[in-house]
Amino acid sequence: MNDQHIASAFDRDLEAIQAQIMKMGGLVENAILEASISLETRDEERAETVRRADKAIDELEELINEEAARVIALRAPTAIDLRLVLTIIKVSANLERIGDYAKNMAKRTSVLSQMAPVDDSAGALRRMAKEVERMLKDALDAYVSRDAELAQDVIDRDIEVDQMYSSLFREFLTFMMEDPRNITACMHLHFIAKNVERMGDHVTSIAEQVVYLVTGNTPDEARSKGDKTSLQA
Amino acid sequence: MNDMRIVERDVDTNEVKIAAKDVQVFYGDTHAIKDVSVDINDKTVTAFIGPSGCGKSTFLRCINRMNDTIDVCRVQGDIRIDSEDIYDPKVDPVQLRAKVGMVFQKPNPFPKSIYDNVAYGPRIHGLAKTKADLDDIVEKSLRRGAIWDEVKDRLHAPGTGLSGGQQQRLCIARAVATEPEVLLMDEPCSALDPIATAQVEELIDELRKNYSVVIVTHSMQQAARVSQKTAFFHLGHLVEYGETGTIFTNPVDPRTESYITGRIG
Amino acid sequence: MTDASMTPAAAAPKKSSLSVVDARTRKRNAAETRFRMYGVAAIAVGLLFLLFLFASILRSGIPAFTQTVMDVEFVLTQEQFEQAESKMLKTGEYQNIFVNALQGQLEESGFEVAFDAKAIERIVGKPGGTIRSFYLENPDRVGTPVSFELAASSRVDGYFNGRVTRDNIVDSRFLMASDLDLVDALEDAGIIRGAFNWNFITGTDSGVDNPGGAGLGASVIGSFFMMLVVLFLSLPIGVAASIYLEEFAPKNRWTDLIEVNISNLAAVPSIVFGILGLAVFIQFAGLPQSAPLVGGLVLTLMTLPTIIISTRASLAAVPPSIRDAALGVGASKMQSVFHHVLPLAMPGILTGTIIGLAQALGETAPLLLIGMVGFVAREYPEGFLSGFTHANSAMPAQIYTWASRADPGFYEKAWGGIIILLLFLITMNAIAVILRRRFERRW
Repeated sequence: MNDQHIASAFDRDLEAIQAQIMKMGGLVENAILEASISLETRDEERAETVRRADKAIDELEELINEEAARVIALRAPTAIDLRLVLTIIKVSANLERIGDYAKNMAKRTSVLSQMAPVDDSAGALRRMAKEVERMLKDALDAYVSRDAELAQDVIDRDIEVDQMYSSLFREFLTFMMEDPRNITACMHLHFIAKNVERMGDHVTSIAEQVVYLVTGNTPDEARSKGDKTSLQA
Repeated sequence: MNDMRIVERDVDTNEVKIAAKDVQVFYGDTHAIKDVSVDINDKTVTAFIGPSGCGKSTFLRCINRMNDTIDVCRVQGDIRIDSEDIYDPKVDPVQLRAKVGMVFQKPNPFPKSIYDNVAYGPRIHGLAKTKADLDDIVEKSLRRGAIWDEVKDRLHAPGTGLSGGQQQRLCIARAVATEPEVLLMDEPCSALDPIATAQVEELIDELRKNYSVVIVTHSMQQAARVSQKTAFFHLGHLVEYGETGTIFTNPVDPRTESYITGRIG
Repeated sequence: MTDASMTPAAAAPKKSSLSVVDARTRKRNAAETRFRMYGVAAIAVGLLFLLFLFASILRSGIPAFTQTVMDVEFVLTQEQFEQAESKMLKTGEYQNIFVNALQGQLEESGFEVAFDAKAIERIVGKPGGTIRSFYLENPDRVGTPVSFELAASSRVDGYFNGRVTRDNIVDSRFLMASDLDLVDALEDAGIIRGAFNWNFITGTDSGVDNPGGAGLGASVIGSFFMMLVVLFLSLPIGVAASIYLEEFAPKNRWTDLIEVNISNLAAVPSIVFGILGLAVFIQFAGLPQSAPLVGGLVLTLMTLPTIIISTRASLAAVPPSIRDAALGVGASKMQSVFHHVLPLAMPGILTGTIIGLAQALGETAPLLLIGMVGFVAREYPEGFLSGFTHANSAMPAQIYTWASRADPGFYEKAWGGIIILLLFLITMNAIAVILRRRFERRW
């Protein structure tokens, strides 16, 4: 199949919005990293930067939506072009949510840095965030190279993030039971952990979109639920 | 936020090439075009859309005074190209038509050779002094028409021997041979298959770098693909005129929205 | 609430099988077959009549192309020559020499038959003059054997053709029953034979008493000059008028009137044009009577409506997209017509012109009143220009003239003329068809 459309303007339009998605992806990856570093190093200024940078991510999402709507209205894309535009819309929504979670992380970091550090929890969180960031990077790479296998791999890795969250949940419970003075901090940390886990879910959603884009089918196995905490008594 | 804008949308920076004001056209007693005022920009593709019989072709033909050949047709109002009134009695329609080229719905190459098809216009307008000049003009026009590579070895074959899409590109090459400034296209792709249509649309996209192109089309999708500005005609009136992206995502007039979404005939 | 049980009468429509032909279809097919048969029968009848026509034309006309000739060879000695020249009645002397030579030739072949100088005259005419002029022109042939080919009289010709038989012959000064024996003897001796009559095609018309010597040649020339006049006048005028009417004239009542009148002119009886020609060209303008120029002018008037109508049809057949394309490139109306429309309409125009010319070639009635009918075209015109003004006849007129003469010998000449005329017409129509085929374009 020829890669180029006969109408070169169509190719230009599609490339333009894909460039915007990659830009947004880069911004969001950066946000995750910066937020987790600021949490670990208790760097309030860094956290503030992350919060401000979220504005750019939101604006990009709005722009991408507008442009995608324009492409649909003007070009009436079909088959792989249609899946591409739909994927882009969904991926940008997912990225925007991930960006929001990173912002929330940064917000809570400011609060947490006022309190005493809880034992090694920040390190565990950072590892979780790092894993999510790697997953996001792989998901975006899978999108660029249209690699359904890599995307499927990302989907499968979400279970580890969920397991990490489950163990962190138990750990925080233990800390809270040990010393009631830790409760406030642990509550915040717990919310952060939940946010990171949700980030992982959104990255999985992005990877599922990539599979849809490449194959035309949504991956049919139910996403494995590694998070058993809702069943915990 | 212009750096975030994705597609070149520099329409607003182009100057006005054709200015129409309060144009009325009568066919005998029928009032076909009513109070149409529109400013068409240079180096831009402007599309006229609308249901059958809404007057878009009629208005197009006013721009190069092709309606003069119809006895019962009367045109009133002001149409200016580069601020010169084209209906001024001093203006010779023949000279006007060298400046405003036209491409028709059904490809209509002359039953002559490909070379003669393109060379005819420059010949009668005296644009070439020597045979070498004429050869240059023919080659340049065929290249502009995106058909040079396909016909350069058979310039003396008859023009009617080409396929439909090639014939239409030949007609476009013929139209640009007289160095026009405006190109009028009356449903140029309606007789072509989808691939040929796409090739001609790509060509139109190229052409707008040098000419002001006005295209009448029955297909809204084509107007969406190819134009930067769109004018919607309905029952002889100009209902809405604006940037193509806006018209197709969020039109102002409810009649426009009804037509585009397929809610009226 | 609808009734739960539907009436049986309103059952579902019966399903029919495609392999069973229903009555209506059968009737329709039968009607169409019958119609086809009628058509074939009509064509067959037409062809039959055509065949009959051609057969009778050929049967009656072919004899015109044959000529009965006599081959006589003798030697004129020098003394005979001088003796003949010294006499008073020179041709008479040659005649005697001829008769003697013939008798000698006959006896040599071993035929004994009664000889009669008068009979020879009836059979072969008086060739004395011909023989004399030959020897006067070629004195060096005196003393050498010379072979003469002499035409027999038309009655003898008729005898050979079967027109004149021993049963129906009426003794007259032209031929007597007793002469027929002599003729038979001459034939057996190989002196009289049938030959192709070139004179019919190339020669001029002859007097009323010499049907054998009549030829169509002069009238062919007359027709030729007439056709030249028609071609060079009607084509430009007709095409120019059509172009104006079709492309430039405003569509109003006046042009409608003109159009109706042109169509009517095509249906005007041709003799009316003859009267017009007489009044305008001969009486008013004083042009010479019986001249091909006048005939040509009259026929031009007759052919113009035909040419105008066919030219208009050809012009209208050029699709308007071509005109639009030319105008769109910046050609003026005139340029678009002359550079594009006219070349494309040319095949149709040519076809119409040739058909118009073919029609004009066969017209007789208009020529009646300007003097070309009944005129005995005895001579060829001298030069090209005098060909227009030198009084002449035309082919159809000549045929009519021959057909109305008393001598039955002219009758077969008339049929022969018809054959030649038909050949011309078929050729011209064939050219028209070839031209049309060759230049036909598909848009």
